[in-house]
Amino acid sequence: MIFVLFGVSLIVFYLTHGIPSAWDPVTAYITPKMTASQIQAIRVQHGFNQPIYLQYFYWLRDVLQGNWGHAGNEASGFPVSQVFAMRFPFTVELATVGTIMTVGLGIPLGIISALKNNKLPDHASRIFALTGYSTPSYWIGFVLQLVFFYYFAQWGLPSLPSHGALSQVLDGTVPLVTRMPIVDGLLAGNLGYAWDGLLHVILPAFTLAFISLGYLARIVRASMLEVLRQDYIILARSKGLRERVVIYRHALRNALIPAATLTGLFLAGLLGGAVITEYIFSWPGVGQLSLSAVFAGDANFVAYYTLVTALIIVVANLVVDVLYIYLDPRIKY
Amino acid sequence: MSGKRTRESQARTEELRYTLHQLFRNPLVVLGLILSVFFIFLSIYVTKIVSPAQFANPLGLQPLLLGSLSVDPSIFLNIAIYGGIAYIIQRMYDNKWATIGFLAVVFVVLYTPIPQQLWIVNPDGPNQVDFTQKLCWSNSLINWGTQSTPCPAASHYFLGTDDYGRDLFMMILMAIPLDLAIALEIVIISTAFGVFLGAVAAWSGGKVDEILLRITDIFFAFPGLILALVLAAVLGRNITTLTIAVLIVWWPTYVRLIRGQILAEKSKNYVEALRSLGLSSKRILFLHILPNSIYPILVQCTLDIGGVILTFSALMFLGFSPSPALPELGNLASSGVTYFFQAPWLIFFPGATIVVISLAFNLIGDGIRDVLDPRLRR
Repeated sequence: MIFVLFGVSLIVFYLTHGIPSAWDPVTAYITPKMTASQIQAIRVQHGFNQPIYLQYFYWLRDVLQGNWGHAGNEASGFPVSQVFAMRFPFTVELATVGTIMTVGLGIPLGIISALKNNKLPDHASRIFALTGYSTPSYWIGFVLQLVFFYYFAQWGLPSLPSHGALSQVLDGTVPLVTRMPIVDGLLAGNLGYAWDGLLHVILPAFTLAFISLGYLARIVRASMLEVLRQDYIILARSKGLRERVVIYRHALRNALIPAATLTGLFLAGLLGGAVITEYIFSWPGVGQLSLSAVFAGDANFVAYYTLVTALIIVVANLVVDVLYIYLDPRIKY
Repeated sequence: MSGKRTRESQARTEELRYTLHQLFRNPLVVLGLILSVFFIFLSIYVTKIVSPAQFANPLGLQPLLLGSLSVDPSIFLNIAIYGGIAYIIQRMYDNKWATIGFLAVVFVVLYTPIPQQLWIVNPDGPNQVDFTQKLCWSNSLINWGTQSTPCPAASHYFLGTDDYGRDLFMMILMAIPLDLAIALEIVIISTAFGVFLGAVAAWSGGKVDEILLRITDIFFAFPGLILALVLAAVLGRNITTLTIAVLIVWWPTYVRLIRGQILAEKSKNYVEALRSLGLSSKRILFLHILPNSIYPILVQCTLDIGGVILTFSALMFLGFSPSPALPELGNLASSGVTYFFQAPWLIFFPGATIVVISLAFNLIGDGIRDVLDPRLRR
């Protein structure tokens, strides 16, 4: 785990600081008014004129002390961790709702597929699942916006908002505690605020769910099919239990173990920010921020973002492994 | 070729026959096959008429580095695809004339020039930039309900025009070979990488294995798209570097997969038997273990073609295109973002094309996986 993070930091540092022509790390510390000699002084002061491996160790020392540098291309920027923390709650909200939608749609789809194996519902759900799997998220996001935002408004139906996490008029009407619009609205007892947040999250969350539920459905289908062939299911049936009890109480609980671990990994992946979805829906999360950071050549933010995301993924893997032991008592380490 | 066959290869042929039989019983797989063959032939057809370099840069905006490796489906990919099919035919029917006949047909299809009357793509046409016909829609079958401008009366565009006034339908036709070629290229190179490193890891075990695994771990912990974005930003914007960026994100999966496969096969009895016969490990690996673990690799490859197209076009969509005029599906869609509710076709049709191509390969891959899954085989 430490090794993985170390490796990620090495690669990130080399990519963001090590290739001289690409991104100049000094840009984070200068303002347009500075003269060439001042810039040179900063370069020397921060050690940017030293060999790359020495720079890496200086950087690592700073980072381990919690000093990640400033975001943005000019010296006026906030510390990157602060910028990240301001945007992260939005990503958490989107990821959570997206995961709930994925699970809520993907697991039933997988179960139907398995129970009607190789019949019409199976084929239909397979096509739906694979279509989601092979759809670019910007495309489905765009289609959803076109239909539910543009056409619904044209037809006089209640339309869903197409971008942002909250309507502008509501901005600042409740105290920001968690910075997640839905949670903040509920905490302040302002249901209108929470409802507005929920409306905003529906389309991007469904976009995320649409592209990932297919994979989940396929996994549930496969493990369900496997479980249904087990001896204990035959026993349960021969005991004369009703089919519904056999499936929901006996088969499903074991079949969902792989799905549970997969869901954990999904959530972790989404917490890293769904770059394209956030971009299409102008969602103010970290994914979109990282995209603009890449375009702006903001080395500090990219490094911070990548390492935090890697940390989330590594921790999620660990949690999933532990969860697996808990869910499946047959497994022992 | 024919003649003497070992019992192992006979068994393998039987398995192949069974697999194909099961596979063709699934209507969705047949649909996927038909679609992907259609797209491959379309690509061959289009690249025969217009070379990608010719239409890539109509405005002279930026020099394009279309390396010969990047967009030349004619040699590299053809050998892989048709060689593979010829191999299957040879195995299935054990008849060298069937194989030779197939290859001859392929050769004729690939290298006969198409008479000019049959061209649907005008080699000069798509290049012509005409800003008077910018973003117009003339197909009365679809009413977008947006403030779209109708095309000038004389011209008829099936799928409207893009922001350079080019026929969007033609641009999509030209984009398909590019995307398909890049996807196949990335998948094939990743597989080669994976076979090599996976074999090294599985065969040597111990420290080498551990180190290789940890390296793949590092890549798995990376957010893939961001790594590709950073690489693209650092390496520069042309098709070769973008391909390399996706490749760097893609190879670890294959190393893991192939290592796992080889380890699983390695512990089987037949490998023990071959060893005791005194065969060299290289021979066992390449002639026995790899052929026996080819199917899962194949499944991964087919499923990944769609995935690679998605990732590559996403890079283009997010703005890493070498030229805004490049006919690439993601890039075409990208220009539509600006005209979101004015010209929805600009993002709709290229995106839909990606969905269909990717779905075609995913249907095949999913079908093969279903047939191969030993748990579902009883």
